[in-house]
Amino acid sequence: MAEADERDPGSAAARERTPRAAGEQREAAGGADALARDFAVIIVDWRAATSDASGGLVGEEVARALGAAGLCSAIERLTALGVDVVLLADEDVAVVDGLLRARPPVEGRLFLMPSQGAEVYVVGPTGPRLLQRRQAAAEEAAALSTAAEALRARLAAAGAAADLAAASPDRRAVVLRARSRAGTVSGGPQTAPAVLDEGGLPSEAEVTAWAVEAARDAGLPGVGVRVAPSRVEIGLTDMADALRRVHTDLVQGRGRRPEELLVVVASVDGVLERLAADLSRAVPEAGRATVVAIGPRRGGLPPGVLRLEGGVDGLLEVLEEQIARRARVARERFPQPVADPAWRFEVHGFDPFREREVETWLTVANGATGTRGALEEGSAVSTPATLVAGVFGDDTSEPRIRKPVPAPDWLGLRLTMGDMRLAVTNGELLDHERVLDMRHGVVYRFWRQRDVAGRTFSVRTARFASMDDRSVMAIRAEAVPEDSGGRLVWEGLVGVSHAGGPTRETRFEALGDAPGFIAVSQGRNGGGHALAVTTRPAAGSPIARRVQQGRDVIGGRLEPGEPATVDRFAAIAAARTRAPSPDVARRALRRAEELGYDELLARHSAAWIQRWRDADLVVDGDHEAQRALRFSIFHLISTGHPTNERVSIGARGLGGLSYFLHVFWDTEVFVLPFFVYSHPQTARTLLAYRYHNLDGAREKARLFGHRGALFPWESADKGVEVTPPYGFGPDGEIVPILSGLMEHHISADVAWAVWQYWKGTADDDFMATMGVELLLETARFWASRASRDADGRYHIRTVVGPDEYHEGVDDNAYTNVLARWNIRRAAEALVWLEGADPKRARALRARLALRDRELAQWTQVADTLVDGFDPKTLIYEQFAGFHQMDEVPIEKLRPRPMAADVLLGREVTLRSKVIKQADTVMLCHVLADELPREVMRANYEYYEPITCHGSSLSPSIYAAVAARLGDMDTALADFAMAAAIDLADNMGNAARGLHMAAMGGLWQAAVMGFGGIRRVGESLVVDPALPPRWHRFSVPLCFRGARLEIEVRRQGRGARAAERLGITVENAPVRVVLDGRERTLVAGRHLFRREEEGPWRKDKA
Amino acid sequence: MAQGQGVNLLVALGGGPTDGELLAVARGVAAAADWSLRAVHVRDPRGAGTDALDGIDLTDVELIETEGAPVAEIERLVAAGADAVAFGARARPAPGIGGVALALLGALDVPMLVVRPGVRPVERLRRIVVPLEGSPSASVAMKHADDAFCARGREIVMLHVVTSDAPLEPGSLPAPRLMDQEHYEWKAWQEEFTMRFSQCVEGGRHRVSVRVGDPPTAILREIRDLDAELVVVSWRGTLAEDRAPVVRALLEGSPCAIYLVPAAPETS
Repeated sequence: MAEADERDPGSAAARERTPRAAGEQREAAGGADALARDFAVIIVDWRAATSDASGGLVGEEVARALGAAGLCSAIERLTALGVDVVLLADEDVAVVDGLLRARPPVEGRLFLMPSQGAEVYVVGPTGPRLLQRRQAAAEEAAALSTAAEALRARLAAAGAAADLAAASPDRRAVVLRARSRAGTVSGGPQTAPAVLDEGGLPSEAEVTAWAVEAARDAGLPGVGVRVAPSRVEIGLTDMADALRRVHTDLVQGRGRRPEELLVVVASVDGVLERLAADLSRAVPEAGRATVVAIGPRRGGLPPGVLRLEGGVDGLLEVLEEQIARRARVARERFPQPVADPAWRFEVHGFDPFREREVETWLTVANGATGTRGALEEGSAVSTPATLVAGVFGDDTSEPRIRKPVPAPDWLGLRLTMGDMRLAVTNGELLDHERVLDMRHGVVYRFWRQRDVAGRTFSVRTARFASMDDRSVMAIRAEAVPEDSGGRLVWEGLVGVSHAGGPTRETRFEALGDAPGFIAVSQGRNGGGHALAVTTRPAAGSPIARRVQQGRDVIGGRLEPGEPATVDRFAAIAAARTRAPSPDVARRALRRAEELGYDELLARHSAAWIQRWRDADLVVDGDHEAQRALRFSIFHLISTGHPTNERVSIGARGLGGLSYFLHVFWDTEVFVLPFFVYSHPQTARTLLAYRYHNLDGAREKARLFGHRGALFPWESADKGVEVTPPYGFGPDGEIVPILSGLMEHHISADVAWAVWQYWKGTADDDFMATMGVELLLETARFWASRASRDADGRYHIRTVVGPDEYHEGVDDNAYTNVLARWNIRRAAEALVWLEGADPKRARALRARLALRDRELAQWTQVADTLVDGFDPKTLIYEQFAGFHQMDEVPIEKLRPRPMAADVLLGREVTLRSKVIKQADTVMLCHVLADELPREVMRANYEYYEPITCHGSSLSPSIYAAVAARLGDMDTALADFAMAAAIDLADNMGNAARGLHMAAMGGLWQAAVMGFGGIRRVGESLVVDPALPPRWHRFSVPLCFRGARLEIEVRRQGRGARAAERLGITVENAPVRVVLDGRERTLVAGRHLFRREEEGPWRKDKA
Repeated sequence: MAQGQGVNLLVALGGGPTDGELLAVARGVAAAADWSLRAVHVRDPRGAGTDALDGIDLTDVELIETEGAPVAEIERLVAAGADAVAFGARARPAPGIGGVALALLGALDVPMLVVRPGVRPVERLRRIVVPLEGSPSASVAMKHADDAFCARGREIVMLHVVTSDAPLEPGSLPAPRLMDQEHYEWKAWQEEFTMRFSQCVEGGRHRVSVRVGDPPTAILREIRDLDAELVVVSWRGTLAEDRAPVVRALLEGSPCAIYLVPAAPETS
């Protein structure tokens, strides 16, 4: 049992006070079991809370005592368990709140509707806040007065002398005068109020009818009339309005069913009937709600109403039963990871050598933030970090690098039992498993530890970065002392480190209305963010928050086996150019708290399931391939932001401490195709990031003496070049970095991505507003970058191609061919725009000062640009002079992957035919829809042996090309090499971040390589070449407004082997090319079959 | 074997001309690590007595004199409570490092300080080289080096020699094979390498040094170039022909004292 909380007598004291078995004294029209279930919304009539067992209303002092005895606590605990409680009262808010004093842990669960429904207050940790007040307009006020006066006069005429009295802003009251014993009206001391059921006075029903009539005559047809024995009120609202609002907001609005509504009302004659009637009026399905009347009853019950004995005790009994039920469910309902092993990425044990890799693998991200998967309690080898997309500052060390401003580590949770802190290195680690539930985007931890005192604990945590509300992160943590009791404490920790980093300052302030803090960080010469964090006991957990030696901790005294569970919420607001207002984060945090962990998790999980619907690539027969692909897709989705056009995807993702979230060509060429075909909105956003940064690219081109847009090799928040001018080699020696100066192909890569997006999505709006301009400005750069030599041809000199072993080369084939392609596609796009939207085209040309003469020059450049292609060999020379370089024995380049520049020396690789990564073969991959297969084969066969895959960008592309060419052994080896980049257990590559390009490349290798799916024009070619072990391959694709599900199954073996192809089309027709023949597939499922080496034929079954 | 904490270094004196050098180096190492020092001389019953140690400064050193087979006697003393053993090796190439030395290498499972004639003296231990291939099991030498020697004013050079072979053991971190952007990769790798193999907070300076080529050659060159006073290296207990090339090379030619730390067999 938990240590008793002074403010928490409910579970112990209240149970003692209500020893009767639940339902023992229930007199029910619907049966005693009607209360033995969970209610999500409980409406309490204030009279039920302020009446004694005899049914009489008690005085204020007694009511205060009753409230202090349990009602306040019960309501606070109910709301903490996620139950909405509504108090209906005739009295005003000061009276009700003054007696109750309930302060729920979050705002949004307790509502006060005083003054006959005229006002609605929501109550949070700091007290009531007015949500709505029905204020009478001047005309309505006058009409109310007229009606009240008419009623008073009619009552007087009937012998019931009455006066007008003050009421709430939307009501008027008529109060009967006191009568003497003799029946005459008197104001003397020996008098009592007149009541309507006294002889000679009109009945309640008559007075009600008179009041309605008077109001109608005054121009108020829809008033509420409340008739008490000595008082009549005419108001613009009544209890039915309050109940209607409850139904709309809390039942329907929060997805509850009418069966989950419980109404507890005082069993006072007349009151009960009126409320039942109001309920019927307000809630169409009122019959499905449960109504309980509290107190003695002379007459019968209205249909369907239960009755309980006692005044407030009866009410507390009902509430305590609900608390017990909810608490039990909450304790047993710790979220569980997906059971299907294919969706689980598991890490067993704790290996200090590999912990940073594990942290990276288990990053939870949502495009806005990324939180590394560090242990909550930390360790000597932990590197916790929360990165925020798009918020950068200047580093203070040389060379100055634009770096992300890290957020304080929100995950820290320290667990203490007695005076001993629990840690994996403290005592004996009995069991430790971490599971990334890729299906739902949650990281789970299951940990059992025997501490040095011999006590055994089990700990579970579940964390996520919400995909539903990308400003929110949450974790639930539960600890159970298995074999010993004692005081257990959870303490929230915050880690901040920015010494010498890009953070100028981090300022902390208290949350204010709830325990917790807000940390506002400001980058040097950059943006900032505000992180709001709070921790609270989870619903049903027998622990409480308290201040202990000045620290805010959550704990309690536990019995063996009793769980202590906390929920920690974090919300972040980010701004690119300044520190945002902490109020934004505060509001986001409040939203999260109001929803609660379970609801946040449910929405987050639903968002993930939705994303997987359009992204899940299934491979049957190759567990390793499936695991690597799901892992890659999971992190691709996690890292991309679908709407924030000011952020892109950094080379190492949102969990990477390396590469500083800088954006390279990796995003456009390797990652973006995945989004084009799975979530076009994200692809568009990624391209919009480049569009918004066009000015930076123009400035870079200008600085280099060119026109148009030269995108930075490394880009951060401003779109300017952030590649450092130099770095440090392995021994600390200064190494000049030339990529920022010479690696210009990135401009063509961006243009390529624009084209792929447009053709893959048919998003003409994007093309008209952003895409054409991107193409034109990059094309303009190339036309200005190329120079005509004495041979009469254009050359692009002094560049670095994808193969970075060779710097400062001339006429790199990849660069030149894509530059030519860029120019031609730009011209084509302009023609399209001039046809589709001439006005916009004219405006764009005017804005860019793009004249016909310049366009003609572009054409000349494209037509005469040297590309190194040899029509005899069909080989592109990687750059001018490559064929004349030194040969290196192939055995010296093995095993791969190999950092040849390290092993052989920079000077050797610079002058040798050794290439770091796919370069000319990269060209064959990106222009696969344009280059003949023979050209692809010739270049692949020439360059593959001398490629050492010294870049993570290389093996996946070779795998894709090898698969297309039928070199299955190499394709599989390269695919495995790409998969191992982040997952191999003896390389440590992932310790400082994931390789996003390799992940995107892996998807391309599977879909475009083995799946044989690629776009040609506005059609999809499907020509699968599955590895022998892949029995089934399926992938959903978005294509030009349609949604497809492409499935390839292999059946049989040897001569009887056959493949079945199923293409399910939704939304729109799709043009698909099979065996070179284009077909238009309409919505529905289309089946094809081919025997080995044979053509595709339609299949019936 | 944390610094100072009651560690006892047993110096096996052979009664030969290099005993003084051995004892001086052992003294320097023990002083740097705050170890206690004892010396043992196993007398040959047929030969010289204590006078074999004439001229050796044994001030403040407890000397144990015993008789019997030297290796067995030293093993007995180790079992009785020595945490590490120092002994001399001949200057000639292995296997001619000396019969006793060779036998001790095969027999003892505690750290061994091997002192070749003519090695750099250890008056003040300033620089230590720890070769690391990047596998967890071989990094036990680094842990010993940190525990025993990490201190302010002292540099521990974590020397990694890049080869085309990568250790297969899970948790290994060889030099990066993938070098997407050199300026980021080396820095990230060095930070990770340091964190993975050393969590020492005693204030000593740790520096990662990367060399390329044949590991024994590169390590010997690095020791010479850095004027290191001690090399700490993991030792899997065998000098078989195709194993332990680094240890063999060090025993044959190290210009500084060698501290061998027993390591578990490599796992893969």
